[in-house]
Amino acid sequence: MTLLDAFGDGFARRALLEAVMVGGLCGAVGVHVLLRRLPFFTMALGHATFPGVVLAALAGISLFAGAAVFGAVVVVVVALLGARERVDDTSAVGVTLSGAFALGVLLLSAQAGFSRDLTAFLVGSIVTVQPGDLAVTALVGVAVLAVLAALHKELVLGAFDRGGLAALGYPVLALDVVMLLVIEAVVVTSIPAVGTVLAVALIVAPAATARLWTERLRATMALAAALGAISGVVGLAISLQWRIAAGATIVLVAAALFGLSLVVAPRHGLLARCSN
Amino acid sequence: MSLLEPFALPYMQRALVEVLVLGALAGAVGVLVVLRRLAFVGDALTHTVFPGVVIAHLLGRSLLLGALAFGVLTAVLLTFVGGHRRVGNDAALAILLTSFFSLGVVLISRTRGFTADLTVFLFGRVLAIDRTDLVQTLVVAAVAAVVLAVLHKELVLRAFDPEAATAMGYRTGRLDLVLNLLIALVVVAAVEAVGTVLVIALIVVPAAAARLLADRVAAMTTLACLLGAAGGWLGLAVSYEVSVDRDLRLAASATIVVVLVAMFLLAAALAPLRRRMASR
Repeated sequence: MTLLDAFGDGFARRALLEAVMVGGLCGAVGVHVLLRRLPFFTMALGHATFPGVVLAALAGISLFAGAAVFGAVVVVVVALLGARERVDDTSAVGVTLSGAFALGVLLLSAQAGFSRDLTAFLVGSIVTVQPGDLAVTALVGVAVLAVLAALHKELVLGAFDRGGLAALGYPVLALDVVMLLVIEAVVVTSIPAVGTVLAVALIVAPAATARLWTERLRATMALAAALGAISGVVGLAISLQWRIAAGATIVLVAAALFGLSLVVAPRHGLLARCSN
Repeated sequence: MSLLEPFALPYMQRALVEVLVLGALAGAVGVLVVLRRLAFVGDALTHTVFPGVVIAHLLGRSLLLGALAFGVLTAVLLTFVGGHRRVGNDAALAILLTSFFSLGVVLISRTRGFTADLTVFLFGRVLAIDRTDLVQTLVVAAVAAVVLAVLHKELVLRAFDPEAATAMGYRTGRLDLVLNLLIALVVVAAVEAVGTVLVIALIVVPAAAARLLADRVAAMTTLACLLGAAGGWLGLAVSYEVSVDRDLRLAASATIVVVLVAMFLLAAALAPLRRRMASR
């Protein structure tokens, strides 16, 4: 098959591995993001890690470390701003998002050779992932999946019924923070593959697609992970074949799967609804 | 540091007029965005306009026209998106936003040396706008301002009391479409100057700051306009001053946003003080 021939080279194999891992991971976490209605927050997290990435690049330390620290700062800032009575959550996220992003641009513009690096951060550069990136993705992936599996019951209950969770004696706030940190870890991990702006797509689209096909939560997560990985592989193959931007192509594949499912899915698809 | 000296240069004068107009317009529209909690819709529109800009660039047409076409298209799409129970409004927005943005990236990645172009579209080039760009911005801004002035009462009513608006015979769906189109017009007007990504800051940040400091919608709107324009002015001056005198290049549009966020933080610090004085 010609699409698979594109994966003959070393860099393409690494990219393939990264695409499968990131896609699967994003899909699994995405179900939680949708349950808790956090797509805008996830988007903000993607933008807001940007100054961290820039600072880390300037300081010569790990990009992951920089992004992770800034992501954690953003989690706190959004929580603090949103707690004020006259600033609603959406505006708090909006202000934090644009402020952090502008800070990143500002830091980067003070450097020479500004535009090239910027693009890699923004839209990803999956064909240049290094073995080190792959190792980080694998480690974070295992850790995130372990947390999601271990706390599955509590996290799901927290999404549906916070009062019930508190009544059962669970630490609600701590579980919220765990969830946000898991989302942050996944966003930061996907930056090399799809970039800061598009990570949210790979988290939201496969999960939203899976929700159209099944109603059981574990099945939704498995399907979302599979759809994320498939989007990664197909998008990468198409981008290598026609030499177009890889991260964006992966996102378009994920969005196309969603659009298709929206029409043809049984029960929840538009066709099924019209015929009822 | 002088607030006036940098603006002796013609290109700085054009940039100043541009950011003053954009700041005031975005501030006024932003108040409605903040009151309706539509920051995510605003953010979505800034991204969905992007492929229009790219297509116009590839065809050698006016960027503003391309942005306008996609702005109107997605304002309509966003008004009707999210009616699906299983999908949810925010998920639909996120998918629409990222897929349109990706379309733009894919299209432009086919061209040679695309990273430089991409940077211009995303972050604007407020110092390089010419007279034609300025006139186009002014025309779009004037249209948006007229629509806003004519329908302001209805839009505010829709924000606070949708049931009353429906009961009085207003079509809330149409008012939503009008607001989405207004946001799109702001994004379109600002696209050359500050780029698609940073427009959202012009819309949300001054309005959120004004909401902290004012109670009445009219006062909030005035304040948001003033803050938006002042942030633009100050940001340009700072960016020029630092770039010329300190030899540290700071991107103009990003400096404007950072100044606006600083204003917001100041407003957040002052707000409790103001309330204490008011309650006395």
